[in-house]
Amino acid sequence: MTENHHSYEKLFYEALRIRLVEEKIIALYPFDKIQSPIHLSIGQEAVAVGLCCQLKLNDWLFINYRGHAFYLAKGGPLPELFAELYGKRTGLSKGKAGSMHLAAPKQGVMGASAVVGSTISHAVGAALASKIRGEDRVFVTVFGDGATEQGAYHESLNFASLHNLPVLFLCENNGLAVHSPLGERQAFSLHAHSKAYGIESVVVKDGYDFVKLSKVCGDVLKQIRNKQRPMFLEIKTCRYKEHVGPGEDFETGYRELNEVRAWKSQDPLEIDKDLISRLTPEISEEIEAAVEFAETSSFPTINDLLTDVI
Amino acid sequence: MTTLPKMKYREALAQAMAEAIEDPRVLLIGQGVTDFKGIWGTTTGLHQKFPKRVIETPLSEDGIAGICIGASLNGMYPINTHIRADFGLLIFNQLINLAAKYRYMFGGLFEVPLMFRMVIGRSWGQGAQHSQSFQSLLGHIPGLLVMMPSNPQSIIQSYRHARKHHKGPVVMFEHRLMYELEFESKPDQHLLNPFGSRIERLGSDLTIVATSVMVLEAIRAADYLSQHGINAEIIDLHSISHPDHDLIFNSVKKTGRLLVADTSWLPYGVAAEMSRIVAERDPSVLKRPIRSLGMQPAPCPTAKVLEDFYYPDVRDIVNASSSLVQQSEDHTIPLPPKQAMTDFYKHFKGPF
Repeated sequence: MTENHHSYEKLFYEALRIRLVEEKIIALYPFDKIQSPIHLSIGQEAVAVGLCCQLKLNDWLFINYRGHAFYLAKGGPLPELFAELYGKRTGLSKGKAGSMHLAAPKQGVMGASAVVGSTISHAVGAALASKIRGEDRVFVTVFGDGATEQGAYHESLNFASLHNLPVLFLCENNGLAVHSPLGERQAFSLHAHSKAYGIESVVVKDGYDFVKLSKVCGDVLKQIRNKQRPMFLEIKTCRYKEHVGPGEDFETGYRELNEVRAWKSQDPLEIDKDLISRLTPEISEEIEAAVEFAETSSFPTINDLLTDVI
Repeated sequence: MTTLPKMKYREALAQAMAEAIEDPRVLLIGQGVTDFKGIWGTTTGLHQKFPKRVIETPLSEDGIAGICIGASLNGMYPINTHIRADFGLLIFNQLINLAAKYRYMFGGLFEVPLMFRMVIGRSWGQGAQHSQSFQSLLGHIPGLLVMMPSNPQSIIQSYRHARKHHKGPVVMFEHRLMYELEFESKPDQHLLNPFGSRIERLGSDLTIVATSVMVLEAIRAADYLSQHGINAEIIDLHSISHPDHDLIFNSVKKTGRLLVADTSWLPYGVAAEMSRIVAERDPSVLKRPIRSLGMQPAPCPTAKVLEDFYYPDVRDIVNASSSLVQQSEDHTIPLPPKQAMTDFYKHFKGPF
């Protein structure tokens, strides 16, 4: 078992890979080759890495429009990601998905929706199907703090608890829904709320610490498997960039630069310069090859326009 | 001549559900599927036989629709019931933003075969939120297959075909007014395309394209009209999302006159779509302007006297057909007495 024994360097590599991919996207964005709205995970990579290193291939993950990190951490192929962002036919979804609808079913990435909270119930339904067939699998839905305000989230907690389904409800809490802080949106406590449905919860406050996250996720997933019960895991995290797009927007005044600076001062991907230098060349080589794949791939044609409609 | 077997609309639904649940992929899920009424007797007894796969739900339509999509992604064939189509409005995010797009949006990586049964609750007194027909709202959306079966054979045939052969979401609009009606079987029904529009009656003077219970009203009207020398052809549209353009156009080309009788409102609806099919191909086949009948442009009132004005019936079909054929509003055909469908189909004693 590799559970709970993922090394710092291995996890660092995975997290750095995600960051460098997204930094490459930022570098490419002004050239308009990626004509798809991007919601970057920069600052939040550790959540995806800590979770996915504990998932088995047939444990399914349901994600959202801020999905690059989870797609990559769960094993989604990198060249096909860039091709998808470029709108090329070699993208995993042949250019019809773009950044907001990533999926890699072979790796258990079961699709991302751009409507907040709308894939949470999918994880519950997939878990129901597996439970009926008596399979030993866990289903994870990843969502932000904003999604917990949707009715579908409450409905999903209730159903998963009522039917004893092996679902991990994972909230990446970056404290922002687009530009609105949590205090302006929520009159409830996430943990008291999940408890009201009989769902045990865990919180991790230092969501940059991928080693700790890997341990906590491993433990939580083990409990879900053993008890065949859903759990709620909140991971506090920090979105470094604007809601959508390649830039930052601190000058607009809805959030404090100092809070992000404080977070960065703890983030291994910001402070462990030695390891960054050592690992970057290999990762960059992989990224350059993936970009080259996207650059040289063909666009879809009119013959692709009406395929897979019904 | 041998008597053909008879079956009620409800019995066909019950048979379709009983047959479906034998398929280990099928989940029968919705509010009321396990209770003693069992969606008006269409799911009764199935929970006892298949307790894991016949699932009562919380009142969480949105969540349950998403659960159905997730279960479908994981190999099941969910059938999600909505005892009133009006409650189905709560699933429109999952239905339109997710289910309808899952195949296309991910470039063919996923399929979500599943079925939503939506019952148009119309009988008497159902009012504004228990009686609506949303077929044209959903027929508008690429990725959905929307059907309105008008008889038991169409139900058994199309529900089976959907489950066995269609890899995407299907919406079945059932009509409450027909549940207790008994239908004679037709010997050649099995030859029809399970998802296709079909000729209900051959005629030469005008084409009536009808949906759901309006097919029955059209048949009544055609029987009446035939006594007055008018020979109506009736097309049971059956498939709302994928109507048979050739069948419709060729019928109108033959008769030169088109009347559309739908269960819903007219603007942007089935009548508008039928008009588009004819007008875009060749409007010169029309000897007279198209006529259409549907609900009045208001929410449905509860008081029965108002409701009787609200819905078109056999008298309206006879009137419109006669005007079309005689090319004048002052036609000479005497009209049958105004009689509400809920009165004619005497099975509605309430409560509902």
